[in-house]
Amino acid sequence: MGSWAKPFTVQVSDADLELLHKKLELATFPDELEGAGWDYGAPLADVKRITEYWRDKFDWRKTEETINQLPQFTTEIEVEGHGSLNIHFVHQKSAAENAIPLLFVHGWPGSFLEVRKLLPILTAASPDQPSFHVVAPSLPGFGFSEAPTKPGFGGYQHAEVLNKLMLSLGYNEYVYQAGDLGHVLGVYVANAYGHKHLKAWHTNMPTYRAPTFWSNPLLILEIFTNKAVSQTLEQASRTWKKGGGYYMVQTTVPQTLAYSFADSPDGLLAWIYEKLARIVDDYHWTEDEVLEWISIYWFSRAGPGANVRIYYELTGGNKHDMFEGTKWTSVPLGTSYFPKEPIRFPKSWACLIGKVVFQAEHDKGGHFAAHEQPEKLAGDLRMMFGKGGPAYGIVPGKDGYA
Amino acid sequence: MASTTAEEQPFTLAVPDADLELLRTKLASVRFPDELEGAAWDYGAPLADIQRLVTHWKNSFDWRKAEAAINTLPMFTHDIEVDGFGTLNIHYVHQKSAVKNAVPLLFVHGWPGHFLEVRKLLPLLTAGPADQPSFHVVALSLPGFGFSEAPKKPGFKGRHYAEVFNKLMLSLGYEEYVYQGGDWGCALGAHAVTHYAHTHIKAWHTNTPFYRRPKFLSNPLLFLGLLTLPFNEPALAGLQRSQEFMKKGMGYYMEQATQPQTLGYSLADSPVGLLAWIYEKLVSWSDDYPWTDDEVIEWISIYWFSRAGPAAAGRIYYEITNRNTNDLFEGTKRTTVPFGVAYFPGEIAQTPKSWSKMLGKVVFESTHDKGGHFSAFEQPEKLASDLHKMFGKGGPAHGVVPGRNGYD
Repeated sequence: MGSWAKPFTVQVSDADLELLHKKLELATFPDELEGAGWDYGAPLADVKRITEYWRDKFDWRKTEETINQLPQFTTEIEVEGHGSLNIHFVHQKSAAENAIPLLFVHGWPGSFLEVRKLLPILTAASPDQPSFHVVAPSLPGFGFSEAPTKPGFGGYQHAEVLNKLMLSLGYNEYVYQAGDLGHVLGVYVANAYGHKHLKAWHTNMPTYRAPTFWSNPLLILEIFTNKAVSQTLEQASRTWKKGGGYYMVQTTVPQTLAYSFADSPDGLLAWIYEKLARIVDDYHWTEDEVLEWISIYWFSRAGPGANVRIYYELTGGNKHDMFEGTKWTSVPLGTSYFPKEPIRFPKSWACLIGKVVFQAEHDKGGHFAAHEQPEKLAGDLRMMFGKGGPAYGIVPGKDGYA
Repeated sequence: MASTTAEEQPFTLAVPDADLELLRTKLASVRFPDELEGAAWDYGAPLADIQRLVTHWKNSFDWRKAEAAINTLPMFTHDIEVDGFGTLNIHYVHQKSAVKNAVPLLFVHGWPGHFLEVRKLLPLLTAGPADQPSFHVVALSLPGFGFSEAPKKPGFKGRHYAEVFNKLMLSLGYEEYVYQGGDWGCALGAHAVTHYAHTHIKAWHTNTPFYRRPKFLSNPLLFLGLLTLPFNEPALAGLQRSQEFMKKGMGYYMEQATQPQTLGYSLADSPVGLLAWIYEKLVSWSDDYPWTDDEVIEWISIYWFSRAGPAAAGRIYYEITNRNTNDLFEGTKRTTVPFGVAYFPGEIAQTPKSWSKMLGKVVFESTHDKGGHFSAFEQPEKLASDLHKMFGKGGPAHGVVPGRNGYD
């Protein structure tokens, strides 16, 4: 099966760059309360500093060149009821022919670039470690992929895109790694294509819908008997109360937010930077890193307003949780726990997602594990899929060894 | 305590040319998002509406004309000391009635409202028919809104707002007065009467009655009333609408209660971002009000040109809810000053009518068949008529302010 993929390079137009700079020159900042720190949101000093750097020092063309060192492509994917979407992706093959095909899926406010640091580690061919052929798309509406044009592009539609992408590259059977929304979509892929195409998957944000007394009485009872469990839940509740504002807005009125994102570079910066800075573990973002990240949103193909619609589509406009219509699957699942991941589930609840065959716990790392701790994350994948690991040889004929 | 009417400092709105020029330049460089086919209002403010409004703002809206009209209102500023916050310069409208013994009334707006919501009420309240009570009306810009200064430090709570209200009224010689408010005007009314009921505030009224769910220990009868709710169709319908609102309409609340600064960058930098954020509420919270483009843009302009900038207003949610750890009524208590409520069908949070009793001593109730959240703006005659009935001769709050019963 051939691939119809076309090579792709990021090429932002001069006009777009000029408009950005015009807006940066006009940037008008709010005031701030004395001693606010991070209490009220992204601090003024930070946002001002990064915006001014963006205006005066950040070199997009140089950044663009570096991004273009990644092997990028686009391909047309038909989605039932939604026509054809042009999907952008990174595809890096290993020198090892029998490398395991791995689909890496970003979340929000992430991008395909989150795979960058993993690539050299995962694709390195070696007799001692399994290696992978890595595919990392921009989700529809993110980065350089087209966005859906009609309502109703939900979890199964995203799963269809992801599965068809792998099939189009000749990867009839593959594995999957993700966190954040990529994890949510992994549940859908497992439900729709588990065993037949998706042979195993790994998540660094193992969550699902909460158990009920009727479905899992023992897990519910544990809340009262196990302090670690109740503490995790209390922390989750606190995190939600303090940090769930973006979720409430994005699941209900993404279009209203879109106007700000499309029109104000520092407005977009602040909204995303607030997350980048807060949910990492002692990770020091440089201005260039932050701005490269924000630029993927600012210069995205569908515009910065499109990506947040995924929150609405997955939840029916906050009518239900993100996992509606999915259930537990027996596709082998690996889980990794990073200490500063804010969206946490008690570990004993991971069994609600799927058949957990691998679990790792780390002492450092936050929400953006692939970006913050690529060695640890890659190490987990090597353990899970390597010789002696619980998912060794899960893709027939592609055990990952040279 | 001396309550001489110190000379009021007149206020004239005069937005600098440079600010107008900057706005014009930003509007000329607007970049719009896309939109899903057939989205209508499902995902938020529709693209066609926003584009049309931006075009109007750029090409047709005349700020100087609007400004001149606003300046025909009697506006003033006054420095108010607030315990722990220093001095805040407070902007307000003060329209006296020709009737000397008119009832002093403080009108308090909410979010995304502002002082101009009082505009249509003014003639009705200060110069109504002779057989109706008249009012001296004071309508301030809340601290951080419109043309009032914003607090500079964290922790500006309900009691601080109440302090501003009371000191403002006292400075105008109104030792005793009545209060009308909706949205924050209602929640802050509960805070105001907690501190100043009877001593200064003699009665209050709200057009957006809402409150917290009754707990068994504090309100056993109302709590038990919850059990009969399935059989009370109108109350149930209202509660269901409220629950719908809780699920689908609370994004703005959560963000403003937890990360107002993060949101503030967009609102301060992008006129279209600010427009969309507020316009979405103007339409979805009103009852089929036929907003003209001029009305909308004037409304948004109050935020865009506000003294503290557009990011400051949202902080009230953070401060009063203590970063979303308590509701709006924390720290208030029920008082026994006469309390009036108006129920409008388009109101967003519809708690059962019986719950209004928890908020205050209900002596007056009205139910209307038209009007939404911004009833002073949408249905001024209906709201004015409620106040006439409540405070007029034979009304349940007639003569609550000694010596100022509304008639000469």
